[in-house]
Amino acid sequence: MELAKKLIKVAVNGESRELWIKQNITLLDLLRDYLGLTGAKLACISNSCGACTVIVDDMAVKSCSVLAMQVDGKEVFTVEGLAKGKKLHPLQQAFIEHVAFQCGFCTPGKLMSAKALLDENPNPTEEELRRDMEGNLCRCTGYKKYIEAIMDVAQHPEKYSAKEG
Amino acid sequence: MREFEYLRVNTLKEACSLLSEYKEEARILAGGQSLLTLLKMNMLSPSYLIDIKFIPELDYMDFDEKEGLKMGALTTHRAVEKSPLLKEKFPVLPETELVVASVQTRNWGTIGGTLVHADPIGDIAPTLIVLDSKAKFTSVSGERTISLTELFVDFFATVIEEDEILCEIQIPTLPAHTGVAYQKFSTIEAGIKIAGAASLISLEGGICKDAKIALSAVAPVPIRALKAEEMLRGKPVDDKLIEQAAQIASTEADPVTDMHATDEYRRELVKVLVRRATKTALERAKAT
Amino acid sequence: MADYRVVGKGIPRKDSIEKITGQAKYTFDIVLPEMLHAKILRSLHAHAKIANIDTSEAEKLPGVKAVITGKDTWGMRFGFVDTPRYPCEQPVIAEDKVRFIGESVAAVAAVDENTANEALDLIEIEYEPIPAVFDPEEAMKEGAPQIHGEQIPAPGRKCAWQDWGVARVARSYNPVNNIGATVNLSYGDSEKGFAEAEYIREDTWVIPRTNHTAMEPHGAVASYNPLTGYLDVWLSHMGYELKRYWISKTLGIPISKIRVHKTFIGGAFGGKAQVFDHEIIASFLSRKTGKPVKLILPRDEVFTSTNNSIALKINVKKGVKKDGTIVGQHVKLISDMGAYRGSVPVCLFLCHSMRDAIYNIPNLTHDGVGAYTNKSTTMAKRGHGSQQMTTAIESQMDWIAEDLGLDPVEFRLKNLRQKGDVLPNRDTLNSYGLPDCIKKIVEASNWKEKRGKLGPGRGIGLAVSAMFNGSGYWPFTAGSIVRMNHDGTVTLYIGQAEFGQGPTTTTCQLVAEELGLNVEDVNLVDGDSELCPIDYSNWLSGGMFVSCKAGLVAAQDLRQQILKVAAEMLEEDVEDLEAMNRRVYIKTDPEEGVAFDEILRYSIQKHAGDLLMGKGFCKPVPEIEFYPSLSKGSGRWTDAYSFTASIAEVSVDAETGRTKVDHIWIGDDCGREINTAICEGQLQSQAVMGMGDALFEEVMFSEGRTINANFVDYEIPRAFDIPEITTIDASDPDPNGPFGAKEIGECARAAVIGSIVNAVYDATKVKITSLPLHPEKIFRGLKEKAKS
Repeated sequence: MELAKKLIKVAVNGESRELWIKQNITLLDLLRDYLGLTGAKLACISNSCGACTVIVDDMAVKSCSVLAMQVDGKEVFTVEGLAKGKKLHPLQQAFIEHVAFQCGFCTPGKLMSAKALLDENPNPTEEELRRDMEGNLCRCTGYKKYIEAIMDVAQHPEKYSAKEG
Repeated sequence: MREFEYLRVNTLKEACSLLSEYKEEARILAGGQSLLTLLKMNMLSPSYLIDIKFIPELDYMDFDEKEGLKMGALTTHRAVEKSPLLKEKFPVLPETELVVASVQTRNWGTIGGTLVHADPIGDIAPTLIVLDSKAKFTSVSGERTISLTELFVDFFATVIEEDEILCEIQIPTLPAHTGVAYQKFSTIEAGIKIAGAASLISLEGGICKDAKIALSAVAPVPIRALKAEEMLRGKPVDDKLIEQAAQIASTEADPVTDMHATDEYRRELVKVLVRRATKTALERAKAT
Repeated sequence: MADYRVVGKGIPRKDSIEKITGQAKYTFDIVLPEMLHAKILRSLHAHAKIANIDTSEAEKLPGVKAVITGKDTWGMRFGFVDTPRYPCEQPVIAEDKVRFIGESVAAVAAVDENTANEALDLIEIEYEPIPAVFDPEEAMKEGAPQIHGEQIPAPGRKCAWQDWGVARVARSYNPVNNIGATVNLSYGDSEKGFAEAEYIREDTWVIPRTNHTAMEPHGAVASYNPLTGYLDVWLSHMGYELKRYWISKTLGIPISKIRVHKTFIGGAFGGKAQVFDHEIIASFLSRKTGKPVKLILPRDEVFTSTNNSIALKINVKKGVKKDGTIVGQHVKLISDMGAYRGSVPVCLFLCHSMRDAIYNIPNLTHDGVGAYTNKSTTMAKRGHGSQQMTTAIESQMDWIAEDLGLDPVEFRLKNLRQKGDVLPNRDTLNSYGLPDCIKKIVEASNWKEKRGKLGPGRGIGLAVSAMFNGSGYWPFTAGSIVRMNHDGTVTLYIGQAEFGQGPTTTTCQLVAEELGLNVEDVNLVDGDSELCPIDYSNWLSGGMFVSCKAGLVAAQDLRQQILKVAAEMLEEDVEDLEAMNRRVYIKTDPEEGVAFDEILRYSIQKHAGDLLMGKGFCKPVPEIEFYPSLSKGSGRWTDAYSFTASIAEVSVDAETGRTKVDHIWIGDDCGREINTAICEGQLQSQAVMGMGDALFEEVMFSEGRTINANFVDYEIPRAFDIPEITTIDASDPDPNGPFGAKEIGECARAAVIGSIVNAVYDATKVKITSLPLHPEKIFRGLKEKAKS
């Protein structure tokens, strides 16, 4: 017998939502299957790859390892919430200009990790940044351009004030 | 994941009450960074999931010069990593956290959850052990406090009773001239740990008043290298003595051979890691 | 180097907005109405007869719509290689026996994933285990368990190459002693060479399997329309033609009714080129149920049940003169193939052919054998043999140099081929930038000041590699259309699979350059087999040289059409006109001109509706019809080779054996960097991937079971591990490449691995002849060395 769904109230990308959800789903399932926000991905089943990274209450978390019920009453931000109308987020602009991504599968996770990091620490050293991006695996790029792009945003914010996409 | 009834609680009392009602049919959910993987693989199928993550009374860090540190079990790894209080009083903890999993896991995962999960390759346990930490449990029947060295009984197994909740970690104030260090060995920086060692040295009048060495990933549980500690206590500590202690520590380890390393190599690593951790601890003890 | 407007610039990718907003849809993201979810039941035994399968309980589970086993797909065979000599032998679902742990034995389609998983648990299978064999040399001994006892292929079955026009007929045969592939080629006389040599060295390397670990797991969405007979599929792939061919062949659906929709693809590295059982199964289930079916593999199944890179034992014997001139070489390969051939027959050949473009070796023998073992198949991974051979050969080059007191750089330079050389198989080196690659990185890295002088625990090493640029393989052509739009922009139609390596952006740059446009004015329709012409594929190293070139040829065709019409409109000769910024003007009087949209209108009105469409196609190695003999290595293979030289600087912690790569320099000859940022990204990627291969990546087995089928136990490099990386362009334009360009995506990885191996040897003087150079291996080596 299927257990009853439960009601949660969660703000997703600034929009308040009331959702009846199954109790045994992850935040990733909630985003992808209930809300159609497919930016966050699943590349592993061992909580290792970070492709599912989103922001909950200003913290980067792996949405595949957070029970959806736990975001009741919280604010969730995903890659879909970064651009505002025609304006891309500075990190998005930098990723484009630096040609930082290749296949793009890990890119949403990287953007959210980087955003959370820079929001907390706007001026990281490169070593701090590379250590803090450890949780986001990439196979295509070798990471270098991602790191350069994020450091560029940190060191030259005036270059990337919200521009039109 | 199989189906379960999700129950969010706001107080410790509520949590204990539900746990005593459902006992082995229930699991406590804090950050879920270990638990959720097990649930998704259907290795665990509880009927009830009691979510304690948002109990305000379990998330705190209080320091008193006499009493030491009392840290709520829901303190996240990230909070430990970033805490100015800990950077001042127990800097080895934020330092250790830098090599624990990833930022995302540290943001949501809790100290209490990690300790109860009892992964033998965990990083925070050996460090807490050499700091002489205690763990406090609570249940409907009352409270009890044990030394952290007694917490672990086997890999992924602790002495926690089925109706108990780990609620607090206590760390006594460090004596003057005490240094602590943690060394982790993995093939790549954030890779799976092959061996780890934490070391604490307290000096008094140039002599080692106290030494504590804890090893991880080289036994089913984090272990104290008691003979190595004995070797150091009461003596002036120099490189030669540290080397001897490191050699002894490696005989106290009980590592396995698995896909990542042989038991022999792990023993060799223990020598290196204990030496390095102890040397650093000694330098830090002298500097304070 | 010529200065172009758009070519040679590091412009942003065409797919930027989709990828950084999360809008890009991968197969993983496709959702269709009434879509079912499929799961595959995998064999738990390495080698066993299937005595009985009972699916009745699974079929009864509410929400289950179909359960299939080998009896439903009986007789269907697929494989990457399906030639008269090497007919394919892998069943879509195991039939009367299983041959590796992870092989498909049944599949379920259900309303959701949880139900499908539950149904798998209800399928009862009676296995009768039979002795298994996991080592290729054991497998080739008399009395070893025979993995393929029955005839391959079923008598009367046409192989793929027969379908593609080859006259030779596939013959049924029983493999003997589990041998499934051989190569034996030679030129000159290597025995004579050894007799003339003044020094001979022989070394044997063991290179294990690694995994591609593309971030997007393998998977498929298939939607069969029973009313029209059309099959729509969304795949994570590297080229749609091969997939369409195999789905058509196995399921009997006409190829023209199989549409591979455009998907963004989350990385591939060679591991997604072949057709997979799960793709055929998803299509089969969709046809059976009349509903769309989604089948995405969880990460552990990507490790166990898709493919790994090719494992090789490589014995190299080399004869040289004391002055370093190479006079003879004999290479012997043994490949641990796995239960089915995979791409081993091709790899055994490529191990020779890619190295043959580098050194001039007058007497050479190359023997190789692939033996079946009870493990999963092995397949090309970014270099396809180059990585393995470069490790063995380049390390030995350093050891020979050391033995004879030669400078390792001079030793290599002395034996390099020359530009213009014709190889024994009659490929011509029309471009050969390798000497420049070496010189540039030797200088950039301060090699001379460092080699032998870095101090204990530090080392620096060099290695070189080569890569071909497309070869003859179905469909033997790349096609493209570039058409004029009403507003004077153009649209490029090209079927290329974009899995991160940037071919579509690059082709837009070629088209823009040719037509005098900005890249923004080149619209793109890509990756869809119905909307785009025949596509060559992006896994044969011909993405640039063959496929992008087709786009350029189409643009050239359109340009001629545009200029002809403009010439008519302006009453000038074509030679006196220039095209720039959507306009054609007279060179000597730039104010006088006509806009592209005006030209289109004129052409339509005055030339009976001619709407200006450029057509382009490109055949790899045009003068050969099919393919050279892989087993004899004779015949033309490719029209150009790319080259890389790499230097690595490392520090080795003697107490633990752990290696840190401090710096990698790469000098690369890709003919011409069309997009400098994309090219840099490819080289950086290969530097980091190569580091993983050299130091810690290995798929590990225990009695045929993959024991590290996850990202915790199979470690790949993370952001903190990456070294300093310096990439240097040392390109030599190829006369046949688009603007001289050649491939850049696969060559460097092998050179990087070789350079790290050589650097670690330089740091430790410990001779290790197996990858990866895991810390424990180095630690033991140092300990042994200290004892002696």
